[in-house]
Parts: sequence; C-alpha cells; structure tokens
Amino acid sequence: MITLKAFQYLAPIAPFEYVRPTNLDELLNALNEYGTKARLVAGGTDLTIALKERLVNPKVVIDLNHLRAKLSGIELTNTNLKIGAMTTYTELEQNPDVQRYARALSEAASQVGTFQIRNLGTIGANLANGSPAADTAPPLIVLSAKVTLLSKQGERKMNVEDFITGVKKTALRPYEVITGVEVPLKNNVSSYWMRTAKRNENVISVVSVAVSSEIQSRSFGESRIALGAVAPTPILASKSSLKLTGSPISEETIEEVSNLAKEESKPITDVRASAEYRRHLVYVLTKRTIKKVVSLARSS
Amino acid sequence: MRMETEGSVEITCTINSTLVHKKVLPNQTLCDFLHDEMGTTGVKKGCDTGECGACTVLLDGKPVTSCLILAPQIDGHEITTIEGLGSDKVLHPVQEAFIELDAAQCGYCIPGMIMTASALVKDRPNITEAELKRYISGNLCRCTGYQQQLQAIMVACKKMNARINK
Repeated sequence: MITLKAFQYLAPIAPFEYVRPTNLDELLNALNEYGTKARLVAGGTDLTIALKERLVNPKVVIDLNHLRAKLSGIELTNTNLKIGAMTTYTELEQNPDVQRYARALSEAASQVGTFQIRNLGTIGANLANGSPAADTAPPLIVLSAKVTLLSKQGERKMNVEDFITGVKKTALRPYEVITGVEVPLKNNVSSYWMRTAKRNENVISVVSVAVSSEIQSRSFGESRIALGAVAPTPILASKSSLKLTGSPISEETIEEVSNLAKEESKPITDVRASAEYRRHLVYVLTKRTIKKVVSLARSS
Repeated sequence: MRMETEGSVEITCTINSTLVHKKVLPNQTLCDFLHDEMGTTGVKKGCDTGECGACTVLLDGKPVTSCLILAPQIDGHEITTIEGLGSDKVLHPVQEAFIELDAAQCGYCIPGMIMTASALVKDRPNITEAELKRYISGNLCRCTGYQQQLQAIMVACKKMNARINK
C-alpha cells in the first residue's frame, strides 16, 4: 500500500497548553515549572512541522513572541557583535555590521530556506534545533562565537561547537533559554560560507563549509574551518584549521588543507547524498571557500 | 503572564486593517485560522510544510508562510492577506500586472505569489530579475514556467517606481 506522508497532516496538531510570558522572569518561571514538558516557539518554522509530524508532543508551548523586543536585535559594541536569539535570518542577511564583521554568517543566513522562512526563523532556534546541517553553526564556529544561556541560576556562555552535542541534541538544560550569541570582533579577519545542495533555494545543505582567516600579505594568520552536515554535529575542523594557520598563501597550502578537512569529516549516506560524495564536497568547498576568503581580504 | 488552556487563547491583532479580538486554538495554524475562521479564503493550503508558499501572507509587512505559524503567535501583530491588498475598484500594482500579463493558469499559487511580490515591489522596487528569482523561489507554481509571473512582477516594480516618482 502506498502511504503518502502528507496524509498525516490531515490529523490536527495534538492539543497543548499555551503560555505567553511577557518578561524574562515570567519566562524563566515557566521554564522552571514545565521544563522538559515544554517547547519554546520563536518563529515556528521548525516547531510547527515537528508538531504536525508528531515528532514532539509537548504538554506546554511557551510563545516567545512577546519577548521579541528583548531577545532580538544586533548590537555592535567595542568588543563584540551581540545578536539576540530571536533575530531573524533576514535581519542577519541585511545587517551591515553582520555583513562587515561576520560575512560567513550573513552569507549563510541569506541562503536558509526561502524568503518567507527567513522572515520567521531565528538564529537562537537554529542552534536550539541542534541539526547537523544548521546553516548558522559553521559560520558561528569559525567566528569563535559564544552562545549565551539564561536560567534562574544565572547566565552561562558556551562555544557554539560545544553547544550542539549530537543529532538534535544540545547542551541546553530544560530550564534554560538561549538569549543570544556574541561574535568577538577581530581586526583583519575575513570569513565566508559556502554550501552544496540539490537545488539553489529552499533546501537542506548536503555539505556546508565556513572559513575564517586573518589574511596577511603572504600567509594565513589565525584561521578556523568548520563543516556542516558531515558529522552528528556541525564541527570545528581543528587539524585543518591548525594547518592553515601560519601557512603561506599558495595553491599547495589550499590543496593540502582541503584534503585534511576531507579527512576530518565523518559523513553518513542518507537521502540527500552518499558519504563518499559528501567527503569529496568537503574538499571542493573548503578549497573554494578559502580562495574566496583570500579574495575578500585582498579586495577590502 | 497569560496562561491559557486548550481552545481559549485570546488574541488581539489587525487583519486586513481591521482590529480583531478573538479566541483561537493554539494547536491551529495561522493558515487554517485565516482560511476557516476569518473567511479569508485567498489563503491557500498547499504543502502545509512551508515549502510551496501558497499560504503566504504578510506579517507586519513581511511575507511569511502561514502554515508554519501557530495562530496565537500573531497576537499584537498585523496580518495582510490577498483580500486586504487592493479593492475591487483599485487593484494593487502587482494584481494589475498579473492580469495584464495573463500570469495565472489554475490560480492556486497566485494569492501567495502576489503577497510575496507585493512586499518585493514595496521594499525593493529596483530589484533585478536574478534577485527576483531568488526571492520568489519560495512560491511554487506547477502550471507555468514562471515566465509571465516574473515579467508581471518586474512590470509591477516599474508601476511602483512610477507611482513613487509621480
């Protein structure tokens, strides 16, 4: 018998209680009270589908909508680019400070989903969702960003590469909320992000690569390479990052580092691509992204 | 903090310039709420997974897929559907251009596509065709090859620019 997945949607979403905190205290109280029984909703692009597919069955949905003023926005300080958790992909894509200091991130944000999804989806939820293919994660990792988590016990900050711990798993505790991410400002750092997918638009990345580097006249300074969709979590490719740092800017370096990044990836075969193809893409995209970072640095 | 049980979430929002105060089901999508309860049947349900764009409405002026939004999320916000875009006497420039260029076949995708296009001609009247293709990629049409629609939106941008420069 042929069963169409779409038929599942004819069944309504299971009922739940709906809580609408209007300030952070109310939110933290609600998280303390409901913990694992609750799910947070920001834009709804991930949660609503999970509810329809019955992948999650929360007793309570906590709507962050009335906290948008507090939890969204992009602020440039002397040391950081502070991005509120409820900042949308469209805001990241269009913000001049993100474009200037975190190009990899604005680039990734501009290619998530569709125009409609980018107007809804938020950076905090992209991380909280814990997908190995989360497009904002590799850029945040190469930019050494930290995610800020708030609970009644106070605030803690974590590296993005440590925050996503497994497929759909994060270090977020049930009584915590992501309030934002902080990208440290570094002089002369260029960054970029590229991906390959089955189409150009509205698609999950098959492989994504982010690179940041402090490009000097003849060599790569401090550099970081991160990979998406080729391991259970987005990963910092530490060996290739270390290799790139301090190496001369040459075809040989880029070739060697891209091969090393390929070795560091641990992809699986799934509906989107084979492991072998993904490994090859890591090599190709790392090469192209490093070259783009060099050309961006030289043209600025 | 307002705490509600099933079926009794009160919202106040603006739908097509009318202030609406209503109780909504939290486990209902905005798409179903608009189509089934508000009578704005121009909001079409296609894939129900945020891929096809048939359910596109404007949320505070920005196109969003209403099938991915839970109805009470619009509390305090402004929604525009195709019904609120023009009037029977004065069409929106995008609607005019779609008629002039025969840009519809079966028509199911058209309200959503016009909503996305209405935001583009307002916010980016100087959009290039390449950019337009990227921004309209969230509105699928299975009848046409998109050519008339792309042309219609470019024509609507010109109309919009002409209005601005008047």
